[in-house]
Amino acid sequence: MAARRDFYEVLGLQRDASSEEIQRAYRKLARAYHPDVNKSPEAEERFKEVSEAYDVLSDPDMRKRYDAFGHDFRRVPEGVDPQTWARARAGAPGGGRPGDDRVRVDFGDSGIDIDDLFESMFGGGGRARWGPITGADQEVELPLRVEDAYNGGHRRLALSGPDGNRSIEVTIPAGVTDGQRIRLAGQGGEGTGGASAGDLYLVVRILPHSRYRVEGRDINVELPLAPWEAALGASVAFDTPGGEAKVRVPPGTSSGRRLRLRGRGMPNPSGSAGDLYAEVRIMVPSKLTEDERRLVEELAATSTFDPRRQR
Amino acid sequence: MSTALSRPAGLDLQTFARLASLHPDLVRRFVALGLLEPRRDVSGRMWFAYDDLVAVARLQRLRSAFSLNYAALGLVVDLLDRIAALEADLRNRPRPTRGRSWI
Repeated sequence: MAARRDFYEVLGLQRDASSEEIQRAYRKLARAYHPDVNKSPEAEERFKEVSEAYDVLSDPDMRKRYDAFGHDFRRVPEGVDPQTWARARAGAPGGGRPGDDRVRVDFGDSGIDIDDLFESMFGGGGRARWGPITGADQEVELPLRVEDAYNGGHRRLALSGPDGNRSIEVTIPAGVTDGQRIRLAGQGGEGTGGASAGDLYLVVRILPHSRYRVEGRDINVELPLAPWEAALGASVAFDTPGGEAKVRVPPGTSSGRRLRLRGRGMPNPSGSAGDLYAEVRIMVPSKLTEDERRLVEELAATSTFDPRRQR
Repeated sequence: MSTALSRPAGLDLQTFARLASLHPDLVRRFVALGLLEPRRDVSGRMWFAYDDLVAVARLQRLRSAFSLNYAALGLVVDLLDRIAALEADLRNRPRPTRGRSWI
């Protein structure tokens, strides 16, 4: 188990905080981290921590004991002097687990297990007035590259949970779209009183790509063409998320024209795939060779084409 | 002999209350306050959906954490649902990630 944080630190308070300040800090944090308000998996752990800190610090008696004995306070018998306790702890062999011999010494031979006693008194949190309650649903963002969304596959995710981090393997179906939610049943917030856990939803976020722009299931990609390819027509090959594709460019194609490749967009597990649009972008060489320059000049002299004249 | 050919799929009050670990009277109270909206069949019997179990768990969690009364609980739940709907809407809206302009 991870080292427990100081209760004052959890609530962001100084040790001399007034009971009013404790109440206010708790209310604020509870609103921010309540599992039904904040759906991130970390929020639930934070909420539990905050609630536990408040349960102790809001009770003047428990707070006094916490101040004196720290997290061990529930194992310290009534009426023990803090100084004596500190000395006893310092003298005890290190690395003992909680509730070991040094506690029993104070009780002589009564053999009472202090841990059990307090577990039953505090019931592990003490707010189980309801019956079993199912855990809250949680959400976590799943950033994917366009190629990964197209192909699907397996992904390991690290999530924070009650026993530290856990890792789960998720199967991403081919053709997930931006904003789509993938449900992982029973992987959400813990239930109380033996009730089942909530669900975890992965919200797909398609990352921006230098070449591909995804809209729903349609994929847009730029198609750079040489002026003569655009003017004369050509059949050109270019990369798509699903591998190389060939498109026939009709003669007389200008920049901005969108050539559709039906069904070459995002796959669809439950229907027809999206389309792929190749958007024409005419490029010219930044430096012309002597021959190129001569030919282009000849074209300029011969042609009557004026792209700025309204048709 | 007649056989019911169809009945509303769902949970009746007793079953629902048992699964939610609540007293049936409390479930009725939730319904009266509009916090749960079961379907009614022709005879007026209430039929709850499995999703209502999730909704009831949320009501319990919110009530115990913030000591809300039932009227406030209804408001909080409505607002949370509205925020969730808005967030989902925002997520599904095409984002302005246009490629570089070259014209």
